[in-house]
Amino acid sequence: MSDGRKKSGRGQQISSKKSRLSGGDDFGHAIAKIAVAQLCESAGFHYSRRSAIDALVEVAVRSICDLGKSANFYANLAGRTDCNVFDVIQGIQDLDSWRGFSGASGVHRCLVNTGVVREITQFVSTEEEIPFVQPIPRFPVSRMPKPAPSFAQAGGEPPGEHIPDWLPRLPDPHTYVHTPVWNKRDTDAKANMVELAKRRRKAERSFLSLQQRFACNSTAGFRPTKDGQVGNGNQVVNDNPFLASPLPYGEKEVCEIASPLKAYAGKSLSVLETFVPVIKAAKVGSLDFNTNERKLLHGIRPTVHFKVGTVKKSVAASLPSDTLIADKDSWFLKYNEKDDKKKRAEFIFRTELGKTKCRHQLRSRSKLLFFLISGVIIKQVAE
Amino acid sequence: MNSSSSSSMGGEGRHDDDSGLTEFLSSLMDYTPTIPDELVEHYLGKSGFHCPDLRLTRLVSVATQKFMLEVANDALQHCKARQAAPVKDKSKQPKDKRLVLTMEDLSKSLQEYGVNLKHQEYFADSPSTGMDPASREE
Repeated sequence: MSDGRKKSGRGQQISSKKSRLSGGDDFGHAIAKIAVAQLCESAGFHYSRRSAIDALVEVAVRSICDLGKSANFYANLAGRTDCNVFDVIQGIQDLDSWRGFSGASGVHRCLVNTGVVREITQFVSTEEEIPFVQPIPRFPVSRMPKPAPSFAQAGGEPPGEHIPDWLPRLPDPHTYVHTPVWNKRDTDAKANMVELAKRRRKAERSFLSLQQRFACNSTAGFRPTKDGQVGNGNQVVNDNPFLASPLPYGEKEVCEIASPLKAYAGKSLSVLETFVPVIKAAKVGSLDFNTNERKLLHGIRPTVHFKVGTVKKSVAASLPSDTLIADKDSWFLKYNEKDDKKKRAEFIFRTELGKTKCRHQLRSRSKLLFFLISGVIIKQVAE
Repeated sequence: MNSSSSSSMGGEGRHDDDSGLTEFLSSLMDYTPTIPDELVEHYLGKSGFHCPDLRLTRLVSVATQKFMLEVANDALQHCKARQAAPVKDKSKQPKDKRLVLTMEDLSKSLQEYGVNLKHQEYFADSPSTGMDPASREE
């Protein structure tokens, strides 16, 4: 379209077709648009509206198709499949039949002497040529499907004497023979990661159940479920304590929760220390810790020293260490920082700690978060 | 072919017809139509027209081009007539030189050729858009 603009030298307001109403024939329509625009320019128009050009293109395409159809019809009527010049002339007469042509009614005259031919001859001789601006390739391009190679082409001998070698090759045996498939073992790294993820999920689930236990300690008939997902509040329980009617003030004695952070105000925390009493209390419970973590339940560990490494270590070996890690940040950072969960846990932990330093009472949400964080970290230590 | 009648004229009539035909077709080949051959062949193939002869394709494209030019010329006449008739302001005169092909002119010229082209003038939100405020209250 831009070439048409360059040729005219005047500004033509014709832009490329954007609507998708033609449905698949865009190339033909685009070419026709250029041709029609050139015709309008030669007729004397300086500018044109986009919709007018579109309409004119539709009319042009329709007229070509109709002319082809009627010419084909006349050829079929005469018992031929290929069209003749007379079929085309009769088709042109049909198109403009409302106007009438001189000599169209003559049955005994040759069609060459009719008005159609005369008008076209006149048109050809008087009108100047306006060739199309660009050379266009033949379209639509048809892709021939690649046939299967023959025996001779593939280079193999046909399996029998009765089979000539110009026939296509027989398919490979693996396409029609069912052979047993051996289960390959996955690489170690992949299995390890899968196992890691499984254990993490297990630990999170167990911590969640622990938290539920603690939250509803006094409520009878509450059963923690293993389906509870981490961070997800949806639980399927028989007696939902949250739906129970609220107790009037003073009816029930609620013990105060001693904030472990109080004791360590000013000092940085070791998460494991915080949860040691929790872990001890839950020793009897149905926690699904693996063998490594059971060792945590023996006594209070004053300090925790976490070592970064891919080698699996037992927690018991790492725990009795006297070095207290003063900097909470470095303790977190010693781990693999690519762990998304750890990053999230770190962020939540920091925010919650910042909040709880101002308050004396831990909210149950932060408690849950503490449990989760510790569970995640303990899992990482264990592996 | 009209063999029964032209046989009465003898071979001369046929010769004239043949020569006329060849002349006509050769004159076609000299002229390069604006509508490219590939486009015309594509659409003719779609509609079932089968002919390996290029001259027939040229004939079809010339006929279509002639039709298009007639429509465009008629639209141009309409446009010029619309510009010439009302001379409202002097400020509009420099704009008169711009000839723009609009849907209005096109639909008028195509109507003469049997093509009904209706263009939506504007799209309104409600039936009372654009009406006088007095009548709108009703």
